[in-house]
Amino acid sequence: MIRFAWLQLRVQVRTALAALLAFGVVLMVTGPHLASLYGASGISACHGGACGTAASRFLSRLAITSPYPIVYVLGIGLILAAPVIVGVFWGAPLIARELENRTFALAWTQSITRTRWLVVKLALTGLVAMAVTEALSVSYAWWADPISKAIGLQGPYPVAPEFGGDRLSLVIFASHGITPLGYAAFGFALGTATGAIIRRAVPAMAVTLAIFAAAQIAMPLWVRPHLIPPDRTVASGPSFVESAGVNLGNLTAAIVPGQPGAWIISSGAISAAGQPVDTVPAACVPPPPAKPPDPGRCLGNRGIREAITYQPASRYWSLQWIETGIFLALALALAGFCFWWLRRGRT
Amino acid sequence: MSFVVEATGLGKQFGRRWALRDCSLAIPAGRVVGLVGPNGAGKTTLLHLAVGLLAPTSGSIRVLGASPADGPEQLGRVGFVAQDTPVYPRLSVAQHLRMGAWLNPSWDSRIAGSRIRQLGLDPGQRAGTLSGGQRAQLALTLAIAKRPECLILDEPVATLDPLARREFLRSLMETVAAHGISVVLSSHLTAELERVCDYLVVLVASRVQVAGDVSELLSSHHRLSGARREAGSLPASQVVIEESHTDKQSTFLVRTSDPVHDPAWTVRPVTLDDLVIAYMSRSAGGPEGALRPQLKVMS
Repeated sequence: MIRFAWLQLRVQVRTALAALLAFGVVLMVTGPHLASLYGASGISACHGGACGTAASRFLSRLAITSPYPIVYVLGIGLILAAPVIVGVFWGAPLIARELENRTFALAWTQSITRTRWLVVKLALTGLVAMAVTEALSVSYAWWADPISKAIGLQGPYPVAPEFGGDRLSLVIFASHGITPLGYAAFGFALGTATGAIIRRAVPAMAVTLAIFAAAQIAMPLWVRPHLIPPDRTVASGPSFVESAGVNLGNLTAAIVPGQPGAWIISSGAISAAGQPVDTVPAACVPPPPAKPPDPGRCLGNRGIREAITYQPASRYWSLQWIETGIFLALALALAGFCFWWLRRGRT
Repeated sequence: MSFVVEATGLGKQFGRRWALRDCSLAIPAGRVVGLVGPNGAGKTTLLHLAVGLLAPTSGSIRVLGASPADGPEQLGRVGFVAQDTPVYPRLSVAQHLRMGAWLNPSWDSRIAGSRIRQLGLDPGQRAGTLSGGQRAQLALTLAIAKRPECLILDEPVATLDPLARREFLRSLMETVAAHGISVVLSSHLTAELERVCDYLVVLVASRVQVAGDVSELLSSHHRLSGARREAGSLPASQVVIEESHTDKQSTFLVRTSDPVHDPAWTVRPVTLDDLVIAYMSRSAGGPEGALRPQLKVMS
């Protein structure tokens, strides 16, 4: 059965490998030069505060050096797209196409049980899908390593928004580490289950796409922040000014003092009495021509503080493992559903 | 007598609709059995239940004495050719044969190879570009080369042109002759059935209307025509299957094991087509009283 499953999968695998190879060539061609730019930037030999300066300089120069920003964004796009492609083009037709073309009557009347047929199809296609996604993600991580290192060193305020935020920011988290594996398994199992229910490949593809997109939006917005109970802190005095930073106008936190790279989940100013403060008091922004006081100090003097909930940067791998585990568990549950669904004999 | 297919109170429900309901039948082994009935009689559902593609909602079905699709061994004992003979359009003829070899331990590549050569199929050709007749022959080859004990075919020739139909049935009959396997073949083309089947089952709305050896059925049914009279006036040994009357004349299709001697009748033999149509139209509107006891006799 493995040989037959491979026979049916060959074309898709060939396409995936061609795409992977093409992207790999781009990485191989541009990677060494990127590494040499990083070597010349002096980041690797820096000490203390000089590192942030060197990293910022490296990133701001890289941001206007073709083709690095494009390859960086393209790589993230490919890694995020791979699980969707796997779900839509490998998962959704897996059962739906057999039902639609009525070839299930051929496949399931050979001397092999339907359960075994599905085990081999799911395992082989699922593992290939995960391997392709992981190969993409690992080769990209190798290429982007200088950029990731510089982002980690550049200090609280990103100089090159082209390269996204730090490791816990939404898109970077989803496209690095082990999460792409979980997404690929989930996307594939979701597509297969949807195809089994809908029984027609093209509608199943559309529904798979919609559900996968919904999951990818719901996860970072509502689930990931609470995978581990977030930490809370209240920044007052000088650290309030530091925290509010560029966001003074709307009184939200831009950074968590003393927690570089932390992921801010929610923040807001509170008065000395503990009431939320939505707008900057008029006294701190007097109308011109009066000379405005230093707004940060002005607010600080009035006892206004910043309440922040956040995930510290140190939880990166814990969050990665938990999120990947959740998607792998969902994938297994969906695969189990497929077995149950086919065994009900409602073809 | 051993049976290829034995069903008891068999039913299959799709949503709220019963595709097959309370169906009981026994199809003997070692025969070429034609399963006939109008569209919607439940033929395809019955055959899918027999090969285990469907699980029954109620009742039970046994094929060659075992539960359908109950493990690889049972799957290997039954060859199936589905309606419209589906194949993988992107795989070549040779790849289909390889699939058969990989998925069936009892695969006989000599049978498969020689059939493909005889049919003149190009092994490298994609199945999607085969003609309907060639596709049906490929599907039949796959079902035969796994060396099944029984072969189940669901309307295999319905969409074929007359020539391809004849070719298909001829190669089916050659296989039956060479390997002595039981065949169950559903169709609504009675002319084709007459050529290949030696046993007939007429299924209408999940009910077996008549079942039996084809030559016995033909010899025990007669068409009687003569001066107008009522069905009630016929002897008790003659079961009226179909009757039609004009002002002066009556025509009956009767089943009887006794010879008809009444000189008032012109007695003519019936064709299989007459027989099938008579039983099908009787169940559509005629009296149902005589059906149950007759069913018991047959099974």
